[in-house]
Amino acid sequence: MSEQIREQISAFLDGELPNTESELLLKRLTRDPELRESFGRYALIGEAIRGTSRAYLSKAFPARVNLAIDGEPKSAGANTPRPLSPRWWRPFAGVAVAAGVAAVAIVGFQHRSAAPANGGTVTAQNLSPAPQSVPAAAREAISYTVPVASPAPPAAMPAARLTGYVFAHSRYSSGLDQRGVLADMLIEAEDQPPAPAAPAAP
Amino acid sequence: MIRRMSNRAGWLIPCAVVGALLAAAPQRSRGADDPRDWLEKMNQALATRNYDGTFFHVSEGRIETMRIVHRVRAGRVTERLQSLDGSGREFVRNNDELTCYLPDQHTILVEPKPDRGPFLGSLPQFGADVNEFYRIESLPDTRVLGRPVRVIAVNPKDQFRFGYRLWLDEKTAMPLKTQLCDSRGQVIEQILFARLDMPDAIADSDLVPAVRTEGMRWVRQGPSHDNASAALSAYRASELPPGFHLTVQGAQTIGEATVPASHLVYSDGLATVSVFVEAQPEAVPGADAASAAPAEPPVEGLARVGSGFAYSTVVQGHQVTAVGEVPAQTVEFIAHSVKSGGAAELPHH
Repeated sequence: MSEQIREQISAFLDGELPNTESELLLKRLTRDPELRESFGRYALIGEAIRGTSRAYLSKAFPARVNLAIDGEPKSAGANTPRPLSPRWWRPFAGVAVAAGVAAVAIVGFQHRSAAPANGGTVTAQNLSPAPQSVPAAAREAISYTVPVASPAPPAAMPAARLTGYVFAHSRYSSGLDQRGVLADMLIEAEDQPPAPAAPAAP
Repeated sequence: MIRRMSNRAGWLIPCAVVGALLAAAPQRSRGADDPRDWLEKMNQALATRNYDGTFFHVSEGRIETMRIVHRVRAGRVTERLQSLDGSGREFVRNNDELTCYLPDQHTILVEPKPDRGPFLGSLPQFGADVNEFYRIESLPDTRVLGRPVRVIAVNPKDQFRFGYRLWLDEKTAMPLKTQLCDSRGQVIEQILFARLDMPDAIADSDLVPAVRTEGMRWVRQGPSHDNASAALSAYRASELPPGFHLTVQGAQTIGEATVPASHLVYSDGLATVSVFVEAQPEAVPGADAASAAPAEPPVEGLARVGSGFAYSTVVQGHQVTAVGEVPAQTVEFIAHSVKSGGAAELPHH
């Protein structure tokens, strides 16, 4: 990637690229998958530098969620719908769960990752109540995952079935959420084998 | 005397000006600079203007290029949302139906009479219930696409919901950039416009899907006229994260299932979570196992759905799936709390 493109991407992400140059960049990105990948990385790095990128999985990530992702047999305690303490939702345990679960490439509708290879972690994450301002959150340190081999294939929900749930849900999702749901539905399922063609028509 | 009065007038005038400014200041803060007013302007622009734009959708370091076309003509809204990167997937919505073209799955999903806002999304009115769980604020103004923008943040007050940052064009209030953030302010997903035109007219040809539909399977799904079975309808979330309450209960066909699922919608006024309760094939009285829903085996676990999550579990022999643009823990919490005879009237937190 040339220095000029790098500067264009940087300027675009900073909102400083003029309209005409943005369109040229867009055309390049549409044609060039490698450039798109680089762009995505830049966006991620840019957010990390600004301190707003997603923190990665911590030691505190609950084992039960890992088990659910990996598709391993669950312990007796985790296998049954467990009674939830009324205190469960209080702002302590949840932060690591949210960040951790979101960070792992979980199998799902998009099947972006067939088997989550980054299940292990090395750094602990501070379990604290949700900060009341973005700048405060932005100052928090970011931790990183260490890839480990996944011992078992994930228990994947069939993509078509998940699509049905998401499509039905999008009717009721509000505002910007709906935009997100629909935009996400448009994204190509990378690891999903193509469904067989069906002759049926309306 | 005249001179003294003049002197008095000399300092009275600045005082009057200062007083007037002070009196006007609260008005100004409630008007042009109030972030709620900017959100309302954005909603108006998204719903009522013609626009044709291309944007980047960035999530987890992955980028997709998409085109949005939105036309309002004689009170009739037509929209097209198209992936420009490979998958060829498209949405087309008009007043009668929403159609999702999935060429990679050889499937076309159709939902009749979609009751939806614009594809680009808007935000609901922020009532007291929403304000209890989100904080809205203006951030320093900046520029996007070389244009001055207002930056509005909708921050969640806890980790059970996501928030937003919106870069709104100063002139049109269109969102040139949006970010979905978690409660720590970390970006989960963002949309950046590379081009946005707001023409007076949009041609029909710009709203026609590019997908070739020959040989594709048409699946019509939507709210079912048939009620879910009494057994399914008895299921509810017995416990909810703060602020969430039951807003919709109905029956819904999922994909090609022949038996409607019970569909519950929980919302905190901004974020929504759908819960689907389905019978296992053997649990449907008198149903043929081959035709009863769900056709696939039961699923347990967490799945990523774009920026949100789905969590499935089996409760008393029924498949329970919670889906929403919320953190994983929220869908997991709700799915695990579902049980037959759960709280019919759920307390509002």
